[in-house]
Amino acid sequence: MELVVDRSSQEPVYRQISRQIRGMVASGALPGGFRLPPERRLARALGVNRSTVLQAYDELKAEGLLDAHVGRGTSVRPPRQEILEPASEVVPLPWRQLFRQVGPEALDPLVRDLLAMSERQDGISLAVGLPAPELLPVQEVRDVLRTLFGEVGPALLQHSPTEGHTPLRESIAGLLARRGILCDPSEVLVLSGSQQGLDLAARVLVDPGDVVVVEEPSFFGALQCFRAAQARLVGVPVDGEGMQTDVLEWVLQRHRPKLIYTLPTFQNPSGAVMSLQRRRHLLELAYRYQVPVLEDDPYSDLRYAGEALPTLRTLDTHGYVLYLSTFSKVLSPGLRLGFLAAPRPALRQMTLAKQAVDLHTNTPAQWLADRFLREGLFAPHLLRVRAAYAARLEAMDATLRSCAPAGMSWQRPEGGFYVWCRLPAEVDARALATRAAAAGVSYLPGRSCAVSPPAEDHVRLNFSFCGPELIREGVRRLCRALGEAQAIPRADTAETRPIV
Amino acid sequence: MNYPLAQRMDRMKASEIREMLKLTRRPEVISFAGGLPAPEAFPVKEMQEVAARMLATRGCEVMQYSTTEGEPDLREWIAARMAARLQTAVTPDEVLITSGSQQGLDLSGKVLLDEGDSVLCESPTYLAAIQCFTAYRAQFVEVPTDDDGMLPEELDRRLRSAHRPKVVYVIPDFQNPTGRCWSLERRRRFMEVVAAHEVVVLEDNPYGELRFEGVALPALKALDRRNQVVMLATFSKILCPGLRLGWVAAPAPLLEKYVLVKQGADLHTSTLTQRLAADYVHEYDLDAAIGRIRELYRGRRNLMVAALERELPPGVRFTRPSGGLFLWVELPEQLSGRDLLARCLQHDVAFVPGGSFFPCGGHENTARLNFSNMPEARIEEGIRRFALAIREMLAETAVAATANA
Repeated sequence: MELVVDRSSQEPVYRQISRQIRGMVASGALPGGFRLPPERRLARALGVNRSTVLQAYDELKAEGLLDAHVGRGTSVRPPRQEILEPASEVVPLPWRQLFRQVGPEALDPLVRDLLAMSERQDGISLAVGLPAPELLPVQEVRDVLRTLFGEVGPALLQHSPTEGHTPLRESIAGLLARRGILCDPSEVLVLSGSQQGLDLAARVLVDPGDVVVVEEPSFFGALQCFRAAQARLVGVPVDGEGMQTDVLEWVLQRHRPKLIYTLPTFQNPSGAVMSLQRRRHLLELAYRYQVPVLEDDPYSDLRYAGEALPTLRTLDTHGYVLYLSTFSKVLSPGLRLGFLAAPRPALRQMTLAKQAVDLHTNTPAQWLADRFLREGLFAPHLLRVRAAYAARLEAMDATLRSCAPAGMSWQRPEGGFYVWCRLPAEVDARALATRAAAAGVSYLPGRSCAVSPPAEDHVRLNFSFCGPELIREGVRRLCRALGEAQAIPRADTAETRPIV
Repeated sequence: MNYPLAQRMDRMKASEIREMLKLTRRPEVISFAGGLPAPEAFPVKEMQEVAARMLATRGCEVMQYSTTEGEPDLREWIAARMAARLQTAVTPDEVLITSGSQQGLDLSGKVLLDEGDSVLCESPTYLAAIQCFTAYRAQFVEVPTDDDGMLPEELDRRLRSAHRPKVVYVIPDFQNPTGRCWSLERRRRFMEVVAAHEVVVLEDNPYGELRFEGVALPALKALDRRNQVVMLATFSKILCPGLRLGWVAAPAPLLEKYVLVKQGADLHTSTLTQRLAADYVHEYDLDAAIGRIRELYRGRRNLMVAALERELPPGVRFTRPSGGLFLWVELPEQLSGRDLLARCLQHDVAFVPGGSFFPCGGHENTARLNFSNMPEARIEEGIRRFALAIREMLAETAVAATANA
């Protein structure tokens, strides 16, 4: 067990220790039953106080990752299902019974198109979730396409199978393996963007009136999609460790939902990462209440700090998790390419639904993505954008720290595209909207990510689209607008008066 | 015995056929089954040039998100082309780019259909449309159709009697599966009839540009005085199918709904493929390319028609379409297209049994043949085997009839 302590880091030393041990347990480097060094010995080895190591161990014990026994010291707790429930009691999901008796979908008005916001020339957009245009791998794509047209010819313009171009499904299986997900290429469905995955999941699983559990707040595109399928949405609050699974349990008991929708890693909009303990708890609850889980994972490759945690799909031992991801955030959003890894019965049904929806995803983009992955262009490109986005996050965080008015709070995320800021209590969100528009800066209002009207107002700030300079200027404009809005008394603070 | 199967088993037919058609992927099989355009007509070289140029000049734009409605210059081009070819007065604002015209069908279902609504259609009609609207739990009402198109009086009667008629779905130009093209007179009468009802006409027009002879007729959309026609169209048959590019042309208030629904379905259609098509039509001569496709298909149609005339036994009828990709065969009553397909697969030749194209069932003695996808020599050989299989089965049924007598 090799641990590194960085004294120049802002992260407390005990946190550094616990984080690294957590990562090793998650990755399997420290197997269940592994005996950890006694606190005193580890403290000496690392040159830290014994109490620091004690604190780290205590934290991990509280999370259920470590066990302590008098006389035997501290060891890694064996895998969850052995302690909680014997695996044999988990019922395989009756997928057939869950599939939607296909029916009409509602035409709810959708939130207005954010993409238009990015097109205003004078304004600074911190609203959209777009990758930086100047970082798109245009040159590489150009080369790959030239080669493909020469080598492949007409097949590049012909129909492809509904499931997807077979070599791309293989490449995606390889990409998934690097994220700790082992699946066969036949368990991969290529999508026309991950939005399509949400739409197909709703079509296949959700009948009008069915309950879908979502995080509160959540990705507004998913909320739209489930609402359009006439689902009843029930929100489970998110805190610094992701979805609050104790609340989830209560919701599952009470509402008997059809689906749990979660973004466990760099959640949109909050940026939260679901802790390993919560991930395990969520799955255990899904098994107990027999509810499939739709894991949306667009951002996990974009980690700027900390250790990766296993995906729900990695931890899932009973085929409950539909894993959804996309090429839009790293490679190119314009290709409209996403993918789903799912248990076979679910995948088959989603494939049939996809056939009715658009036959198949466009052929040239699939060949392009496959070559991009196969020729090893993806990994270096990812390193490049990751470094750039880390710098942009730093620019945003630093500017917020120096300019944000008192009462504004946020957690610096370890990855993803967004900083989620709680507004000072006295700021009226609507007043801020008009001030910010006048100042020439846009953001995503927190309300559009909410299932029910939120108790506190937030704004979601994107740091991937604009360069560091524009980000600093944008945040400064926003903070000025906040200052102006603070001066205006809130419209909705008055108590509710009975009408007599 | 005749097993009293549940009605829902009718819906299983399509997938049973799909299983059988999987066998056609063997290279030795001569397939008249798919609706695939001929790959030799795809403008590969030109597309390669387009791709290189656009990525050099506007690479970021090509790889970035686009709007749900689609690339503005492509929508303009479509509106202008529809005006020139189909005599419509559609504005660019009334055009939505879709991920293939299949998406146009699906979005139409989402926007227009509630459970139990009636969709009136030609008899027979396009298989994927049947599947698509069935998914929205619509009921189909088949309207008798002859070689000139849907029969107006029959349509009127059914519009009056159907349960909540919502949509009339038609393919007036070189229909899939029959290859029929409606006469001008019939188009006018059709529009008079629908104008008296509160229904939306879905005019599916993937093949209109593939006319081999005669003059182009105005689209229903061009004869629409009440703004009740929605047209679906595609680049699949005039450029190539792999781009998955189609469009919906609809009156503005309706198009708005299509846009909302599309946003939830896939945000927007691939910017890459939209730019490929847009730059291609701006920089190259699409008419010349379509001209080449027409020549190719006309030759193949001629060949198939001649071979059918030569080879088929008496009692088998077939259409002689003046455009499109398909022709339609009516077998003697006692033969079933499904049985014939099984026999044909033994001879390494495939087609789609016609019964699947009738949403209300029946008409099993029919077959759809595609003439666009197979090279010339294989068409002649394939039709020879097709006719042989028919003759074999006719002989067997004759023997069986004698034996029973």
